[in-house]
Amino acid sequence: MKIVARVRDEALRRVIDGVAAALGAEVTDEPIDGDSGEAYNTPVDAMIVELDSTTDVKSLRGQARRRDAALVVACHANRQCADVTTADADDWFVLPVTEEELKLRLRVAMSRASGKNAARRKQDAAELVRYEELLFDKLTGFPTLPVMIERARDLLERRGELTVLYIQFVWYEKIEEIYGWQKLDDVLETTAGALRSFYAEEHQPDENIMMVSHIADDDFILLTHVPSAPAAAERRLREVTQRLEAHLRQQVEIEHGEDIAALCGIYVGASTVFRNPKIRTERLIYRGIREAAQAARGAEQWERTRKVSGLKSTIRDGAVFIEYHPIIVTETEEVYGFEALARGMRRELRSPEILFEVAEEANLVWELSRLLRRRAVEGILDELKEGQYLFLNIDPHDFDDPAFRNLDPADLGIDDPSRVVLEITERTAIKDYPRFQEYLKSFRDRGFRFAVDDAGSGYAGLGSIANLAPDYIKLDISLISNIDTNFLKQNLVETLVQFANTHGAKVVAEGVERREEFETVKQLGVHLTQGFLFHKPRYSGHPDRGGARFQHAGVRND
Amino acid sequence: MSERILIVDDDPNSREIVQTFLESRGYHVETAEDGQAALARLEELKPSLVLLDVMMPGMDGWEVARVIKNHPDFGSTRVVMLTARSDFTDKTEGLRAGADDYIVKPIRLEELAERVEKNLAVRERTA
Repeated sequence: MKIVARVRDEALRRVIDGVAAALGAEVTDEPIDGDSGEAYNTPVDAMIVELDSTTDVKSLRGQARRRDAALVVACHANRQCADVTTADADDWFVLPVTEEELKLRLRVAMSRASGKNAARRKQDAAELVRYEELLFDKLTGFPTLPVMIERARDLLERRGELTVLYIQFVWYEKIEEIYGWQKLDDVLETTAGALRSFYAEEHQPDENIMMVSHIADDDFILLTHVPSAPAAAERRLREVTQRLEAHLRQQVEIEHGEDIAALCGIYVGASTVFRNPKIRTERLIYRGIREAAQAARGAEQWERTRKVSGLKSTIRDGAVFIEYHPIIVTETEEVYGFEALARGMRRELRSPEILFEVAEEANLVWELSRLLRRRAVEGILDELKEGQYLFLNIDPHDFDDPAFRNLDPADLGIDDPSRVVLEITERTAIKDYPRFQEYLKSFRDRGFRFAVDDAGSGYAGLGSIANLAPDYIKLDISLISNIDTNFLKQNLVETLVQFANTHGAKVVAEGVERREEFETVKQLGVHLTQGFLFHKPRYSGHPDRGGARFQHAGVRND
Repeated sequence: MSERILIVDDDPNSREIVQTFLESRGYHVETAEDGQAALARLEELKPSLVLLDVMMPGMDGWEVARVIKNHPDFGSTRVVMLTARSDFTDKTEGLRAGADDYIVKPIRLEELAERVEKNLAVRERTA
């Protein structure tokens, strides 16, 4: 135990020595007015301070807190004690004092101080956390713009030049609708991690100082110094940009799969700024950020143009293939039918969401839909066994296409339309309900059946489900994942099953991946099940499978 | 150690009834009168289950549920909503907030006991 004594009174000094000997403590003398400076900041257990006319108890107290010490004040008169108490010393006594009393005072003060100090430490920690939250992005741990600007200024002033890389993160709206916003957060985290690893692999930290910030909600800025001869600078920058872009995309694809990667665009733009004593450094940095952001947008624009021309040739060449996802009778685990899902052969146009997004931009939605419907039907119709159904995805907008509205099933090679189920995805609100229902009726009259997709996702409420009078209600994937442990989901599915039973419809659970999920939906009376637990999809015309027209994949029940 | 339950409800009567009842069942119960207070004490209380009123001034129950379920340390905390409405839309809202279960108000105490027990059992099983 360490005690600091700041006393003049000889008698008191002797009492302190006596107490210290009894407690096995070590006593250090400090000047009575030594209340500031490095020398007096060493941590101790207690400070015993004799009050004199110049003593500022509050500042003493501050010092004691910094040293994690209990503060005990020796007063010469009773009237001094009030000041000492209001200044919040841990304890005090009036001289003369006995060893017994001092020992007691010390013990009380130390226990009070340890409580107060602990509380203060906790408060400090909380404040520090709040402060760090302001300075560092919660999701990625990257410093935010104010922190970065500070460092950037320093860097620019030291090196004379600074390169800003702007990483623009673009996703297609549907990624949130299909996978939920958590997925987007995950992808952003992956991107941040990939940025970090790029930084670690590609650059020696001491050679190229680099800082990253997460700005807006989805873009990143990276400041670096790319040392090179002026002539080669541009080429080097382009090279870094391309390598970074490739690295980020690759990491997203590895961690989240091709589908997700296709839905996220990552574009990098670069700009270099040079120190100019006439221009404020901050302004220079902001200018660099703006220019780099523009370059990133340019890259995105270019990519979009490329995708549109890719889509045109996709439609011209029919460069699509179809994945058929089996649908199982829950009770018997027999194949009930297949859902046809479109895929583009071009890598950048693989996912149906992207295909349609680009088609919309290029005003080619109808053409694309026609191609996909034709392919979906011709790819499997001959293979459908007796009593099996083909589920085809239809967008409400498809009904605007006269070629679809007036569709003659025979033109598609469909002999028996009652084996074709049109899945309506109600992601785009149907504006003209009466007319829409007229369309549905005319298709029904031709023999087609209908399914409502994504029920329970919030897009299709019970009311709109009732309005469409579907033959099938497909449950949104979010209702199925972990349904075995979520009572709310179980309740919602139960409601939908009851609803379906009273309306003569069947419920389909999509996205069943685990045995427990399957057992739960079975228990809830869900009629049909779809998901990777049962089957991997079958393919038609898949480029990597030698263009085989149809691939048989046995039913797996594992 | 008995399981810790946090009740978040702006109505003091409702808080007290639920607290007294659950304490009589041997649970360790803490209360908070609104969402902010609940979130501020989450780290300290580390509840196994949160009973969350939907209609509260300030942050509503859905928002609170969303924060709890997305917190890296509290994803496995069971969140049970207390709601006066129980229509389909209301439940899909709860689903999107990540809630695990719901109880319709006014609360029947036997039902409350059953829901709490079931949810804690799931937590036990999946932890």
